[in-house]
Amino acid sequence: MNLPPCRNPTAMGTWAALHALALALGFAQSVLVAEDVAIRGAEVADAVSFAHDVVPVFTKAGCNAGSCHAKAGGGQNGFQLSLFGFDTEYDYLSLVEQARGRRVSVATPEKSLILLKASGSVPHRGGVRLELGSAGYQIVRRWIEQGGRNTSDIDTPLVALKVEPTFATLTMQAEQPLQAWAEFADGSKRDVTDLAHYESNDKARAEVDSQGHVKTLTLPGRVSVMVRYQDRVAVANLSIPLGASVGSLPPEQNFVDKYVFASLKELGVPSSPICDDSTFLRRVTLDIAGRLPTETEANQFLADPASDKRDRWIEALLQSTEYADYFANKWTTLLKNRRDDTSDLTSNFAFHAWIRDGLLANKPYDQMVRELLGATGTVTGNPAVAWYKRVKEPKEQLEDVSQLFLGVRLQCAQCHHHPFERWSQDDYYSLSAFFSQVGRKATSTRGEDLIFHRRGVATSTNPQSGRAIRPMALGDPVGEIAADQDPRLTLVDWMSSPTNPFFAKALANRYWKHFFHRGLIDPEDDIRDSNPPTHPELLDALADHIRKSQFDLRELVRVLTKSHAYQLSASTNPQNQSDTQTFSRFYPRRLPAEVLLDAIDQVAETRTDFANLPPGTRAIALPDNSYNRASPFLVVFGRPENASVCECERVQSSSLSQSLHLLNGADVRNKLSADTGRAARLASSTRTPAENIRESYLAAFGRTPTAEEQAAALTYLAAPTSESEANGNTADDPKQLREKYEDLLWAFINTKEFLFNH
Amino acid sequence: MPKLTYILRRLVALGCLGVPTVVSAQAVCLPAPRLLTMMPMGGQAGTQIELTVTGENIEDSHELIFSHPGIVAQPKRNTENSVESNRFTVSIADDVPFGIYEARLMTRLGLSTARVFSVGNLPEVVRDKPNRSLASAMKLKVNSICNSLATEKSIDYYSLECRKGERLVIECAAKGIDSKLHPVLIFADADGRDRFVERRTGVLDLSVPDDGTFVLKVHSLTYEGGNPFFYRLSIQVAQPDAVIARLPATRSVCSFSWPPMGGIPKASGADSATQLEHEPNNDRTHAEAIQLPCSIRGAFAQAADVDVFDFNAKKGEVWWVEVASERLGVPTDPAILVERVTGEGTEEKVADLVELSDIPSPIKPSSNGYSYDGPPYDAGSTDVLGKVEIPETGRYRLSLRDLLGGTRNDPGNVYHLVIRQAEPDFALVAWGLHMELRNGDRAALSKPLTLRRGATIALEVVAVRRDGFDDEIELFMDGLPSGVTATGLKIGKGKSRGILLLTASDDAPSGWSHANFFGRATIAGTVAVRPCRVASMAWPVVDAWHEIPYPRLLADVPVSVRDEEAAPLSLVAGQPPAGQTVWTAKVGETLTIPLVHRRRAEFSGATMQLKVFGDGFQQSPRFEIPLTAEGSEAKLDLAKLNVAPGDYRVAFYGSAVARYRQNVAALTAAELAKQEAEAAVQARKVEVKEKEELARVAPAEAKQAAESLVAQAVEQERAAAVNLEQATKRLQEATEMSQPKDIVDIICSEPITIRVTPAEST
Repeated sequence: MNLPPCRNPTAMGTWAALHALALALGFAQSVLVAEDVAIRGAEVADAVSFAHDVVPVFTKAGCNAGSCHAKAGGGQNGFQLSLFGFDTEYDYLSLVEQARGRRVSVATPEKSLILLKASGSVPHRGGVRLELGSAGYQIVRRWIEQGGRNTSDIDTPLVALKVEPTFATLTMQAEQPLQAWAEFADGSKRDVTDLAHYESNDKARAEVDSQGHVKTLTLPGRVSVMVRYQDRVAVANLSIPLGASVGSLPPEQNFVDKYVFASLKELGVPSSPICDDSTFLRRVTLDIAGRLPTETEANQFLADPASDKRDRWIEALLQSTEYADYFANKWTTLLKNRRDDTSDLTSNFAFHAWIRDGLLANKPYDQMVRELLGATGTVTGNPAVAWYKRVKEPKEQLEDVSQLFLGVRLQCAQCHHHPFERWSQDDYYSLSAFFSQVGRKATSTRGEDLIFHRRGVATSTNPQSGRAIRPMALGDPVGEIAADQDPRLTLVDWMSSPTNPFFAKALANRYWKHFFHRGLIDPEDDIRDSNPPTHPELLDALADHIRKSQFDLRELVRVLTKSHAYQLSASTNPQNQSDTQTFSRFYPRRLPAEVLLDAIDQVAETRTDFANLPPGTRAIALPDNSYNRASPFLVVFGRPENASVCECERVQSSSLSQSLHLLNGADVRNKLSADTGRAARLASSTRTPAENIRESYLAAFGRTPTAEEQAAALTYLAAPTSESEANGNTADDPKQLREKYEDLLWAFINTKEFLFNH
Repeated sequence: MPKLTYILRRLVALGCLGVPTVVSAQAVCLPAPRLLTMMPMGGQAGTQIELTVTGENIEDSHELIFSHPGIVAQPKRNTENSVESNRFTVSIADDVPFGIYEARLMTRLGLSTARVFSVGNLPEVVRDKPNRSLASAMKLKVNSICNSLATEKSIDYYSLECRKGERLVIECAAKGIDSKLHPVLIFADADGRDRFVERRTGVLDLSVPDDGTFVLKVHSLTYEGGNPFFYRLSIQVAQPDAVIARLPATRSVCSFSWPPMGGIPKASGADSATQLEHEPNNDRTHAEAIQLPCSIRGAFAQAADVDVFDFNAKKGEVWWVEVASERLGVPTDPAILVERVTGEGTEEKVADLVELSDIPSPIKPSSNGYSYDGPPYDAGSTDVLGKVEIPETGRYRLSLRDLLGGTRNDPGNVYHLVIRQAEPDFALVAWGLHMELRNGDRAALSKPLTLRRGATIALEVVAVRRDGFDDEIELFMDGLPSGVTATGLKIGKGKSRGILLLTASDDAPSGWSHANFFGRATIAGTVAVRPCRVASMAWPVVDAWHEIPYPRLLADVPVSVRDEEAAPLSLVAGQPPAGQTVWTAKVGETLTIPLVHRRRAEFSGATMQLKVFGDGFQQSPRFEIPLTAEGSEAKLDLAKLNVAPGDYRVAFYGSAVARYRQNVAALTAAELAKQEAEAAVQARKVEVKEKEELARVAPAEAKQAAESLVAQAVEQERAAAVNLEQATKRLQEATEMSQPKDIVDIICSEPITIRVTPAEST
């Protein structure tokens, strides 16, 4: 659908016309403005507001971007503005009073340095930002003309920003103008479309220009456009249906399927079929237990005719120690279990084990977070304390907690208002206040403190305003916290309360990404209005399910993996091959470094030994990052150093060095050719080559070979090599045969089918 | 830290001290005998067990001594009735109570450091072969104890038959019996799949899920292993509601100050001395009314538990509040808030009166355990001891919470709260004085109270003072072995630290005894004598950067002296001037005391610096004495020290690097033994030749007998050669051991009595 662009409705009549046009075009959902609301705009021509007009001009022109005059440490050439104009008082001082007032000349506005520079009339390293005579130029000039006043004392405060349409369904390669409306404390509204800033969250699906004009491209799906004006953000959510016939979808196993399949229907994306048993077995075993199914398990599973065997296998995996090991690996990485010194050994082992044992015992997630954030004592007495060893300062604590457990990235708000969100510095420091009463006492262990609750009223100081701030949880009041109460426990009470909008949702989204390889909100720890979920109802339903199950992590895994949405095939159909966000098919992902190393060991029947750990310890059970130093394999395949709370620290991309490692790396080669390995065993086995080939396929892929594969493998095993022919050896020479089995396994582990969970 | 850096740091430290810097691979402290491990570490009362020991400087030790007379050891003898090295047969009498005792070896250097020996009431076994896999799991019976040790990078597997529903209490005693092990207990199914895991407390208390075989896995938290990582694994079936006592364990240093002598009042109107808290009492509306004085036992049972008590008090009253919890052996940090309450119901208002938390160490301990800015012993506690002064007659509220208890639920975290009127008193603890190098010293060594002839060793004594007690405390020891004297340098008025010096005379005979160590003070006109507990490191830690020192209280105070070695240097005060029995000076004078040096070893460097022990004299400036001279002088400026008239005891101490040769006697003996072995070999060779000659010329009828004699002689020659080989090896070891080594140690003078008389006195 193409809508004619319509801009600057600066009078009621114009807006009414637009409104009528929008209604006529079926955009009822986009219209928000009530008829009885006063519309401002014309007044701009008369009195220019520094905050509402001038600063937005600078923002739109990029003057107060982080790379320009809002650059930390002095801006550019001594002229510093607040980032995105979030501090207009500071900006006014900087513009009018600093540099001996030469930036603004009320007597001759056009000679003001700010205009000369911005228009390129005098050399300006930032280039021309405001063309002479442009609307932005005129606004600034008029403001100077009117005295260059700080109008904050007479400005009506801005209370909200709205965008129209808020929701819209567009065809591919369509256009849609957006309109931004500022709402003020006196109830008035003003069209700020020209002054607002726009940004698409998925530029492959939709582009938006500086005037709010959206253009959809050729990919179906969902996209949102963030609109920012001053410190307010609004979001336009756009759907771009493929419009294909969905046909029959798999039956719904649970509410996950209900929402995923509804979305497929809405967007017109047909799903792939449900995957076969062997694919399911391998996929779910890798995702829950971080390992391949054994040959025995594969044989038994494939031979089992029961209709509930998938559910039973999920249950068996959830009760296994590998489940605890694998998810402990995930959580300890995010909780920064990092070895910086040899003396960290005990605390890292203890912390890892604490997480692992909690998962094994299926400790409720909220309880685990409570024990972590409210930890007191020593590391050996209470291993959760180790987190406070790694994350020492309140600001780090709040940032990590916020990102990891609430899915909110607050780092920006430490220095300035969050550019994409509603979070202010006061929000940042009020969250920091929850950690202000963490007391520390030195212990005899180097680098470790005893953590306790220090009695006192929790406060944190906003360094910019100098105000002492009481604890608030992302804007939510948590009541009075007495001096005797540990504020961290109050924070956890808030997090785990049934009405918390972040905690359960962040967990749901994180685990969703683990199993579906893309978050409902992506990145998984960046929940914000300007980054909406692809399936909001599903995310809400999952969060609700988590709360109802009392934060039962196994139940969360159960509900995700039992769904048919999870069990869809990775194979594509013509309609969904470019789909990357509707979950119409399974999105394959390369095995994580530890899982891949274990998988190679499993296929090769070898083991990798690790320092300070019993022989046979799997890579997914490694307690900290220190093992990366001794394992180029883990480094090359992206095992993180546990330095960040972001899952993105794990590198999942491919590289040439990974290929070389698999093709010719000494460690991989040694595993395949180990005397006690699978190749050696198969070569000396009395079983038939066909049986050996079958076993190898089951070990590597969890499936039996196709007839074609079987024939090719048999031919390879039987054929003499050029080397053996030259030496006069026969193909069944034991040494030659062993090398052929090594080759076979080498070929297996270099296939995409092996390297990917699919 | 890289080794080179570490050595350089030491060199710098010594250089700063003026101690000779020609040191290489220098050690700290002269060799001391240390019993490090025993296997098994205990036994059932009424049984006899065989026990193997390991240790440091325990060569040729054949006497194992226990702190209970009912436990007796004999050296184990082999089939040829020779004593087997480091092995003993231990008999435990029927009537030895369930508990832990100290074991020590008598060595040529004296009594060794102690190691815990447990006496239990369950049958015991010792792991006899590796059990590092599921397949080799060692079968255990319930209601038994297994003595074992962890293996590096391994898991120990045990299997046991259990019945569904029965309560199983599995405990792994480790740290409490001096082990370095941090145990992990895993209860797994027969296939080895983990079911229950415990990594903190060493106790698994579970209900068996099914009938059948289960697997118990034990390993170190960090998979360390070897002799120091021993453990006793107890498996008991218990009634569902039975209270199962933990295996006995040693006590931490801080616990010396509990219980207070006479400081626990009887609850008014109660039959027993102590009442129990009544939950719920977690907030003001459920505050428990109490009457002062009182003694209350309770627990921080629930997460963030707060126990609130209301009491009435009158203006001007002073109440002393003491809480024991950490000192009872639980990992807590109790804290108290006392508020004044006015108004009732919704009109109620509270105002903070006092907060009490922690008993600070009376002297500054090492701030982090690995640098010497204080001793590596902390006499303080996270418990509470303080006073509440009542400003107005009325109602008051005491809230007691555990600062570490925000998230845990453990009814085992008990406390004992005492509120009393002042009962002035004191408690004492002592430990071997540690090296104090300017740049810090990371050694935290276990030091037995064992003296060389002519040696004076110092014990640092620390007092926790209670309820305003401020007077001086005399220190004394009795029951000492012959030739050993103890001299207490008192803890001065208002002070917290004193010194006790143990001196062996130059001719002290070898011997030992259980000594008694006391402090004595006058409290409210009455002489009070209190025991002084002695603490020691469970293990000698040569570098606390890498290993955390673990000090504990000892059960007894054995003192020994041996005549095999003498101190490298004895510093003795010369005789006072004629007519004086002690060194005497007037207030404001400078007292010069000649020091006699009895030097028995070479030293690196020409001088050493001395400081002064003794109340009133601690501020004396360091002074230097020559290490090569036969004597020196100590000058004490009484004017600067502002010493009041009275009798004082002082001593001088410092550190020096001695060129020490260990067990020279063993070298002499080994040399002699080798000479004898060589002679024996030569003699046997001659004998073989003689016999061969006799066999050659023997008539036919005697040929066989003669050849038999030849074979016999050849066999004896072979045995002599083996003996020579062993003697050569022993000589090599003795030679190595006796090589001169640079060892820095504390050198302490014998105590000196000083009398300060008034200035106008003649």
